[in-house]
Amino acid sequence: MESESSPVERLRETAAAQGVHPTVEDLEGVRDFLDRILPALAEIEERLPPETAP
Amino acid sequence: MTLDPYNAFLHREEAEGDWRVAVKDVIDVAGMPTTAASRVLDHVPESDAECVARLRAAGAAIVGKLNTHEFAFGALTNSPHFGPARNPWDLERTTGGSSGGSGAAVAAGLVDIALGTDTAGSIRIPAAFCGVTGHRPTVGLVPTEGVVPVAWTLDAVGPLAPTAEACRRAVEIMAGRPLEPSGAVRRVGIVTRLFEEADPDVAAACEEAVRSLPGKHEPVELPLLDEIATVTQLVMLPEAAAAHLGWLRTRLADYGADVRARLLAGLLLPSTAYLTGRRARSWTRSIWEQDLGGFDLLVAPAMPILAPRLDAIPSDYRLLLMPYNSPASLLGLPVTVVPCGFVDGLPVGLSLTGRPGEDGLTLAAAHVFQQATDWHERRPVDVASGEVLYTTDSAE
Repeated sequence: MESESSPVERLRETAAAQGVHPTVEDLEGVRDFLDRILPALAEIEERLPPETAP
Repeated sequence: MTLDPYNAFLHREEAEGDWRVAVKDVIDVAGMPTTAASRVLDHVPESDAECVARLRAAGAAIVGKLNTHEFAFGALTNSPHFGPARNPWDLERTTGGSSGGSGAAVAAGLVDIALGTDTAGSIRIPAAFCGVTGHRPTVGLVPTEGVVPVAWTLDAVGPLAPTAEACRRAVEIMAGRPLEPSGAVRRVGIVTRLFEEADPDVAAACEEAVRSLPGKHEPVELPLLDEIATVTQLVMLPEAAAAHLGWLRTRLADYGADVRARLLAGLLLPSTAYLTGRRARSWTRSIWEQDLGGFDLLVAPAMPILAPRLDAIPSDYRLLLMPYNSPASLLGLPVTVVPCGFVDGLPVGLSLTGRPGEDGLTLAAAHVFQQATDWHERRPVDVASGEVLYTTDSAE
């Protein structure tokens, strides 16, 4: 059975796929940032009128 | 060793011309190194950025390159590679940023005009903290060719100078056209919440200053103000990461910690977050046009605090400033910041925000304000000699 990777590991893989190789400390900082901004993003997504184009 | 007492200049030259202009070190000047106060970038361009070329053709002497937050991507000017710019009003305090060298150079009378860039407040913050006039133009008014980008859809190049008139002349030259106001200032929206959330002494100075502004004054609320800071991040961070992607792949360890963190955040935000940010910007713009389109100016304290000490930057410094900077950044609006008072010997700035393309109106209103007040004529005192650094006559 495949084990679930940690959030930091998933970030590392996403960065590596783009050719960027941050340190674990860097990735922990990004994880903390995402933990703060993603709930705010979700609230904005909910309020956005669906017909709004970029 | 720094080139001046404020660490404003990163590169300095003698030059002949009608007026002395220095340029934030993210803007190319032929024959002068562009470093962006970074360890990553160090090239000597063969040609001027378009905005510099236009100023030079109009008689400007380009006398050097000015300190900045690394890659203009932060609200201080404290590059780990080049050291902090120091505020001429108190050398132990920040100039703000990212155009901090520009603010310091104008405040200290080292130049007649300094060019800065403003993605999320980077002209307005140092203008307020250094007690000079600054103008963030409508996005697209001044060409950005030859300027290291932070975020393509938010970036603006603009001047810092002793007066609004000097800023207007610089913007007209760089834009290649006159900036006639579309009409008189009739309705002025006073952004009540931004006064209430500012330091009380800063707010009081700004409230007093508002009395010298023309037009009918009415209290207003900014729609979606709580969301705008987040939306600005959703747009700015991925654009910055995309602009830096090549260097992130090859030079990641050479970035300072704070800038590296912001770039990586942009790299790793979900791709849908960027599009949500762009959609939310459209939504915000339509609501603002509906609710605030009838106002000629929106007025607020430029910054909610005085310039902090370099050794005591508040941990929530960026968060404190975001509501004051993000709306005009996200919506690409023109903003003129004018000195409007002092608290504890430190300057306070007032921001005048206009509708898109109404740069002429914010600058005209700032000129009217400066004809009625003398805050823009105050000068810092030289720390060593106790003498006033320069007089208005020598700066004009």
